[in-house]
Amino acid sequence: MSAVLTNPPPVPAQESPGLWTLAWRRLKQDPVGMVSLAIVAFFLLMMAAAATGLIAKDWSKEKGVSYANPSFLAGAENLEAKAMAARETSKAPPVDLSDIDPLAPRYKEWEERAAKIAVTEVKRAESLPFGGDKWGRDVLQKVVKGSEVSIFVGLAGALIATFIGTLLGAMAGYWGGRVNDLLEWFYNIFTSIPYILLILSFAAVAQATGSFGKGIFSIILILSLTGWTGIYRLIRAEYLKHASREYVKAAQAIGASNMQRMFVHILPNVSHVSLVQLSQHTVQFIKAEVILSFLGFGVPVDQVSWGTMLAEAQNELVIGKWWQLAAAGASMAILVTAFSLLTDSLRDALDPKLK
Amino acid sequence: MDEQNLILRIQDLDVRFRIDRKSEPFQAVKGISFDIPTNTTVALVGESGSGKSVSAMAILGLLPENAIIAPASRILYGARDLTKAALPEMQAIRGKEISVIFQEPMTSLNPVFTVGEQIGEVLRLHMGMGMRQAQARVVELMNEVGIPNPQLRVNSYPHEMSGGQQQRVMIAMAIACEPKLLIADEPTTALDVTIQKQILDLIAGLQERHRMSMLFITHDLGVVGDIADSVVVMQNGVIQEQGPVKAIFESPQHPYTKALLACRPRLDRRPKRLPVIDDFIKGDGRPNLAERTRGTTPEDPIILEVKALNKTFFLKEGLFGKRAIPAVKDVSFRLPKGKTLGLVGESGSGKTTVGLTLMRLHDATSGEVLFEGRDLLALSEREMMAYRRRIQIIFQNPYASLNPRMTVGHILVEPMKIHAIGKDERERVDMAFRLLERVGLAPQSFYKYPHEFSGGQRQRIAIARCLTMKPDVLICDESVSALDVSVQAQVLNLLQDLQDEFGLSYIFISHDLAVVKYISDRVMVMNDGVIVEMADSDEIYRHPREEYTRKLLSSIPKGWQAAAQAT
Amino acid sequence: MTAYVMRRLWQMIPTIFGVILLIFILFNWVGGDPAQVLAGKISNKEQIENIRRQLGVDQSYWVQLWVFVKQVFTFDFGRSWSTNEEVSRILITRVGPTLTIMIPVVFLETSLAVAFAIMVAYVRGTLTDRTIMIVCTVAMSISFLVYIIVFQWLFGFILGWFPVQGWSESFWKNLTNYAPLPIMLAVFVGLAPQLRLYRSFFLDEINQDYVRTARAKGVSEKKVMMKHVLRNAMIPILTNIGISLPGIFVGSFLLEVFFSIPGLGREIITAVNRSDFPVIKAVTGYLAVITMIVNLLVDVMYKFVDPRVSFK
Repeated sequence: MSAVLTNPPPVPAQESPGLWTLAWRRLKQDPVGMVSLAIVAFFLLMMAAAATGLIAKDWSKEKGVSYANPSFLAGAENLEAKAMAARETSKAPPVDLSDIDPLAPRYKEWEERAAKIAVTEVKRAESLPFGGDKWGRDVLQKVVKGSEVSIFVGLAGALIATFIGTLLGAMAGYWGGRVNDLLEWFYNIFTSIPYILLILSFAAVAQATGSFGKGIFSIILILSLTGWTGIYRLIRAEYLKHASREYVKAAQAIGASNMQRMFVHILPNVSHVSLVQLSQHTVQFIKAEVILSFLGFGVPVDQVSWGTMLAEAQNELVIGKWWQLAAAGASMAILVTAFSLLTDSLRDALDPKLK
Repeated sequence: MDEQNLILRIQDLDVRFRIDRKSEPFQAVKGISFDIPTNTTVALVGESGSGKSVSAMAILGLLPENAIIAPASRILYGARDLTKAALPEMQAIRGKEISVIFQEPMTSLNPVFTVGEQIGEVLRLHMGMGMRQAQARVVELMNEVGIPNPQLRVNSYPHEMSGGQQQRVMIAMAIACEPKLLIADEPTTALDVTIQKQILDLIAGLQERHRMSMLFITHDLGVVGDIADSVVVMQNGVIQEQGPVKAIFESPQHPYTKALLACRPRLDRRPKRLPVIDDFIKGDGRPNLAERTRGTTPEDPIILEVKALNKTFFLKEGLFGKRAIPAVKDVSFRLPKGKTLGLVGESGSGKTTVGLTLMRLHDATSGEVLFEGRDLLALSEREMMAYRRRIQIIFQNPYASLNPRMTVGHILVEPMKIHAIGKDERERVDMAFRLLERVGLAPQSFYKYPHEFSGGQRQRIAIARCLTMKPDVLICDESVSALDVSVQAQVLNLLQDLQDEFGLSYIFISHDLAVVKYISDRVMVMNDGVIVEMADSDEIYRHPREEYTRKLLSSIPKGWQAAAQAT
Repeated sequence: MTAYVMRRLWQMIPTIFGVILLIFILFNWVGGDPAQVLAGKISNKEQIENIRRQLGVDQSYWVQLWVFVKQVFTFDFGRSWSTNEEVSRILITRVGPTLTIMIPVVFLETSLAVAFAIMVAYVRGTLTDRTIMIVCTVAMSISFLVYIIVFQWLFGFILGWFPVQGWSESFWKNLTNYAPLPIMLAVFVGLAPQLRLYRSFFLDEINQDYVRTARAKGVSEKKVMMKHVLRNAMIPILTNIGISLPGIFVGSFLLEVFFSIPGLGREIITAVNRSDFPVIKAVTGYLAVITMIVNLLVDVMYKFVDPRVSFK
């Protein structure tokens, strides 16, 4: 045997890439993947900016006239705005109650005082970048703020669901036996009830009693508590497959403990599945949140979501006001398409099938 | 052998595969030429990656979608060039004038149609037979290929048949229309040793009776000796040598051919080191013929003793019941220190289960495994930890036994950490480097991932991993079975060197009798969970006592023995 | 096979109890006191207590659980909290409209998806294939809501081909007048994801060894696809249909809400809005059982579709 090497060779100049490095390289070569990644990143930045109040802060201010036209249709007729304006100016003259009104003598004094304070009369805008809704709120700002809610709910829900699904799937797939039986029982219960019905049941209880917390946390909880089943199934199958692989037996042979085998050995071989599932469920939850908000079970009334915008848009289309529908529909379509394509590209990058 | 009449002439065949948009296509076959005469068996021999299968598949245009055949290539069949033929033309030839048998019969047969339907399909397609006529002919064919009860079996599904029978079905499909050329792509590689011989005999007999030509692809030179008329030797997409079988075996010209012939363990001799390809390419090619004696004596100290080991698997059946499948039945044996105990059997014999149960990777149903006086099966998991180091295992599949997400360095250091070997990380890393060198791998390997290594190199990493714990006993569970012949020789030499140096005791499990005889001092033959015979290796091969042992021995292709005498 | 069916029925029992438990925990424990909500503006303590007693939520949890279990097995879920109609009657009358929509949808969607998937798989890798896949992805990204709003506006309002909303007593009138637009909508939207899925099934099969064998026998590409591949791909396709079958009873609640179709889906939405627990509990419970039975039927049918499956 040769003498003890005191200086091991330095790290070679040409690195040995691991899974994630290789996957990133593959992703970089995929134009569709990179474009989707850019779009998703853009939306995420937008969400962060909206959340911290940098943009879309004043989405609820009624800046414009009712159903303000979008900028590119600035000159078009706006019958509704005119009708609204007409209503305001045609108010009936106030009835004079000064003889029975105890406060009547003071009015003149108060009016003089009020006149001294400068009041900025905000003129309502005739047109807004993407138009206005019924109350004159800026559709562009609503879309941006709405994206914050939808993306946050989608992402947070997916993170929790993926965590639950991965953990339970790992336990069921690795341990088998009684643990598996118990978790399978659990899984069967949740999947016997059709998904929509499960969500609606949770939503019904959440609505009636507020037991799931307030506002969007309630939706996040509902979506994640009902959406973990698909991930569980996949991760469990992966763990079952890997647990009988020889490298795990080899780990057992050298004396690695169960925890070590589950999380140090198998998990790195399975984590790419979790990542793709996370991406896929984010898309699914965004779509679900929109529908829930539409039905009124989602965000509370003082917040805006793409779903609430679509709810409003439902009645607007027949009177020819299509911009809220287009704005909400299009931004959602762009984000979901980008996220879906990103999911596909991620899957290909992480687990390329030799064509 | 008819020299004038050629069935097929391959000229300058060049096949490349598109991997992705950026890289250069990978060239699998680099311009080869050879002929297939009528009524002749041509063996196309090579190790994995030689391009032999690709060449054969190119003939009928059965390559995957990303394959590119260079325009200069020609495959001449009669007056036609098959590389340029239109698809309908090819479809008329396939299955009728040229047929194929594949390596894996289970997946090559359609699982949802009966075997009768699948064989009948060729008849109805090419011979225009009606349903009833085809059915009758199918039964005839199944009889000819040796499937018992053909009238009944016609309605069986592939998964209801054994591997050997499935392959017979494939053969029936292939000869149904009396083709002029039969391409057999490693048809026996996936089958048990005893079945292999049956199938080979069947194919050889059919070839003679129907006067077909055959292109037989294989990595096993032993088989070639038995059935081929001429041989084509390929390596890395190039033909290294070709000629009549006698010339190839008796006077090989190319160093690669000489190496292939020499590095298989032989039954009649046992050199101290198996010759490897490098010996022939760098040296003069005459291997060192000094022999090694093997055997055991009753006085040898015993390091491991197994008593009445039983392992039964339970499957759920019926409403509440369980079905017992005994895999290992009352197995007892002794492993002398510093020696090798060979364990031979076919698939399903229970030999792998014995190895796994010894190491407590399976839970034994009953029995004792005595190591230094203590029964390993009776220990708690914590007590067992102390002994885990001392008995290690090298698995069969080099592609599955290393964690793809861990670097080689991590793989080597982990067991040392678990067993607290070495006083700190530095020392452990040093030891890892030393072991890498010992098993013949570059120091850079420490930082690399398993997928960057070949099969043989991965087995070396697996061996190094075992050595980190300085074990006393090493179980080699089909550790060289998945390797090419030349690589196998290298790994066997390494294992022998390590045994000589460290005094390791081996349990060598394999289905390959020649290898087992070469490396073992004592041999146990297992069949259906039971040890059928146990004796010193020379003894068991010279004077086998049990019928099963004799059957196994007779399945070894004889052509090898006869042809290899002169080397 | 009887042994298999018996074993499966036996295994269903713990799951059914689990579902009962889940519904109970959700509605009786977590959602336990909707009396406040239902009482609405009445803040009179006595009246709230009264309501509680009527609903039975003043009893201990164990009693409530026992009551619920009894209800499940006698198929009597009491009365709706809002309309006071018998829950079982509600369910029976609403299933009809839902199925009138959903059964044609499943049928049309599957046939079209399989047909298109075969065609796309046949031309795999070409520009056509990739374009269609991208179109599907984009189509799937647009919210169902947008489709409904636009379709209603286009076909009902602008073109006037179909009534925008409504339902009638006559089955035939429903099928030809009120149902076509929602059916068309559902099939149109559902086609994209099914097409993608079935295409992947076909592509998985095309890469199998037995396809190579078929080609080696001289079988034409068309026959390879229509006979060898299709037969094998039907296995996961039928499984997929089987799994989604229980969903047809809930149907498309969005369609029912938009088109004012008096089906089960709309009923559930209404119930959620009004916190009408008995209705939700009943539907959930029944559908869970239906799902389990349908799953069992699918598994049994599997045997006839995939010869490799055996019952032990």
